[in-house]
Amino acid sequence: MVGDVDAGKSTILGRLLVDLEQVIPEKLAELEAMSSKRGVAVEYSFLLDSFQLERDQAITLDVSRVWLRTPERDFVFVDAPGHRELVRNMLSGASEVDAAILVVAADEGIQLQTRRHALFLKWFGFTEVVVAINKLDLCDDPQRVFEERKAEIGAFLDRLGVSPTAIVPIVARTGDNLARRASAMPWWNGPTLMEVLAPLRPKEGASDGPLRFVVQDVYRRDNDRLIAGRVESGRLRAGERLVFWPLQASAVVREIVRWPDVVEEAAAPAAVAIALDERIFVDRGAVASHAGDGPPIGHALQATVVWLGAQPLRAGEALRMRVATRDIPVTVQRIDEVVDEETLEGAPADEVAANHIAVVTLAARELIAADDETSGTSIGRFILTREGTIVAGGSVDRVVGRPRSEGATDVIAQISSVKTHERAMRNGHSGSVFWLTGLPSAGKSTVAMAVQRMLFDRGRHVYVLDGDTLRTTLNVDLGFSDDDRAENVRRTAAVAGVLADSGHVVICALISPFAAERERARAAYPQGFYEVYVSCDLPTAEKRDVKGHYKRARLGEIQHFTGISSPYEIPQSPEFVVDTTRHSVAESAAALLEFIEERVRLREGAPV
Amino acid sequence: MDSDLDELESRTIFILREAFACASPLAMLWSIGKDSTALLWMVRKAFLGDVPFPIVLLDTGMEFDEVYAFRDWLTTEWTLPVRNELCPPESSVDQSLPPAARHAARKTAGLRAMHEREKYRGIILGIRRDEQAIRAKERIFSPRNADGSWDPRMQPPELWDYFTYDVPDGAHVRIHPLLDWTEIDIWRYTRRENIPYVPLYLAKNGKRFRSLGESNITSPIESDADTIDKVIAELEGTRQPERAGRKMDHESEDAFERLRTSGYM
Repeated sequence: MVGDVDAGKSTILGRLLVDLEQVIPEKLAELEAMSSKRGVAVEYSFLLDSFQLERDQAITLDVSRVWLRTPERDFVFVDAPGHRELVRNMLSGASEVDAAILVVAADEGIQLQTRRHALFLKWFGFTEVVVAINKLDLCDDPQRVFEERKAEIGAFLDRLGVSPTAIVPIVARTGDNLARRASAMPWWNGPTLMEVLAPLRPKEGASDGPLRFVVQDVYRRDNDRLIAGRVESGRLRAGERLVFWPLQASAVVREIVRWPDVVEEAAAPAAVAIALDERIFVDRGAVASHAGDGPPIGHALQATVVWLGAQPLRAGEALRMRVATRDIPVTVQRIDEVVDEETLEGAPADEVAANHIAVVTLAARELIAADDETSGTSIGRFILTREGTIVAGGSVDRVVGRPRSEGATDVIAQISSVKTHERAMRNGHSGSVFWLTGLPSAGKSTVAMAVQRMLFDRGRHVYVLDGDTLRTTLNVDLGFSDDDRAENVRRTAAVAGVLADSGHVVICALISPFAAERERARAAYPQGFYEVYVSCDLPTAEKRDVKGHYKRARLGEIQHFTGISSPYEIPQSPEFVVDTTRHSVAESAAALLEFIEERVRLREGAPV
Repeated sequence: MDSDLDELESRTIFILREAFACASPLAMLWSIGKDSTALLWMVRKAFLGDVPFPIVLLDTGMEFDEVYAFRDWLTTEWTLPVRNELCPPESSVDQSLPPAARHAARKTAGLRAMHEREKYRGIILGIRRDEQAIRAKERIFSPRNADGSWDPRMQPPELWDYFTYDVPDGAHVRIHPLLDWTEIDIWRYTRRENIPYVPLYLAKNGKRFRSLGESNITSPIESDADTIDKVIAELEGTRQPERAGRKMDHESEDAFERLRTSGYM
């Protein structure tokens, strides 16, 4: 039930409860008592408006839900508040319903909130709405007023692209044309409100759509990892190959668990846990699809949002976005347009005030996998948060992909004809990635080079991927913005993964300042990835200043310099720490050598 | 197939997993009634047989003997990590509340004391929207202030299945995975899944309990429903509200709202 404040939404529901005999005599007596206590005639809305404040002020503050049983079927009605300050509550209720009833007071006609609620319905994806014109008893010529209102709302909905299922004249207070035909409106030959609602059916389930399995968590059971999540659309079967987005890791479903049972198939909206045939990197936030049927990915998206924040939304603002279970930082790259409720036209704007609908472009440092809203999957919808508070709901219009991600989305990697353990047996050690992270001049490259020498002399296949060196070749097109740093890490990790897979001990020496990026790097070779924190306090590093960069950064000649004008996120749980403030290069290299040898050495009888 | 029950169950499991992933440390209140027992069963489903957080009982010492017996039996049967929290005496709660409501207020006080000690960020409860008009207005993830109180005028938006997880230090989120279930849904699900329940729900000598509260403030209803099938048939034919036998709901118009805003379940 939506529409402007005081249009009679709660009264309709209260009256329906009474007329359909869902209210026991004792409760009716209570209702009469609370109404007369407040000096009003029987106020049916009190059956819904349960807060004292709601009853005292005769206004709905928050959504309520009532169950209505009729001989044909059961209904759950969601009563939404109409007040303009309570849009967040209206949206909370409306986001869950299968059909909507827009209530218009005959004596007031279409108000700003009527338009706004209709716009929200359109944004939620409704193409139809039931309209009730209420309070016709307040009009001298109800039939004429009804026809006027009907034409008015019909024209507005038409421009909006929403069609009225029916437009019904009613009087909620007396129950006219709700559950029974109104003797007071002999001119009306159309259906009652309940006759319009009776044939409505719930929205089709999503089990026929493309598979989207949203990962909530990974649970360990015995030695197995079970990926817990919900099939949000489509069907999932044992033995099928899945691709997990946005990292595009791929594996086959070995088992579907619906505790205490193991099942062959799970269709939306089943909550299950799955085991895979291979150990790939999957965590909360990933979305699985079938191969060749995945969502678009990119670093930006254009979306239609309803802004609910107390402070307006401004271009350039940093927020967090939640798409399904993924929670990532985004920046508002651009406010494309704000929709005017009167004209329904979009106009460019610098900011979006509360309760307005706007088209915005959001950019992320991480890859986003999202469907456009029309595909009907749950990853076409998202929310934005500001300091943990939900400040917007959004529907994705399109994902803006970088050229390099196009065309690569349906590719499935080949299975190698040489197995990892075969390479390890020949080499005498396993391939692994040792990821050295730390401030500039912390000693990453120096330690890496020293360890490489020692490993090589021991007959190990070893290679150093140095951040600065790679920036002269593979990563020559990248700068030092957050986006480019992320891409730098991604490419380096991909190369490291290939080298490790070919059997090499790979030592990466890269500032890699962001924890999230390092965690993503791990996905390039999850079976053998070790984060090594090369720890050095800033004064020591700055004093060393091997390349003279600190000095230039202090002078402002270099922008985005880690430690000075760009942040460094210290690893929270690195696998190994080398402290170059307190130890010499030789000591640090020796300690790291021991750590590496321990990790790559082949153990007798142990699987590699 | 009961596809409506499957849908309700799926969403509840989804909510429980969200709570576990996003609100830590986490605990669940178990009243030993039919709702939170069905919810416990779904906790086991969500976490593949485990119960990965404490199951807390707010004990006023006034529950029925059958309730305590059932608690002890199921705790062993399902190996539940149960914590029994003794609630402070009646003399310690707001004396301006009507008498039966003071019992409920003891539970609120017990909950607050536990929360202050354990600093839970998420507390799972098995309340339903169809039980009571105030509960009909609840969110699935409902933030509470540091003192456990609820400000129903300031509820956050809850769009689709996106919930509010972040609360200031000291505050917590109440998590309500059963909000969309009805009383009949719970019984149909209990029957389908063979979930155990306290025998007081079935009729004996023409009376049964439809809702279980403390023994001194809960009355049974007239009923011949001595099997779960008959209970479901009885509910399908009644208009009587479930909590009619709960004294604290009916003492004054605002009794339940006052209880809830101050932190009651």
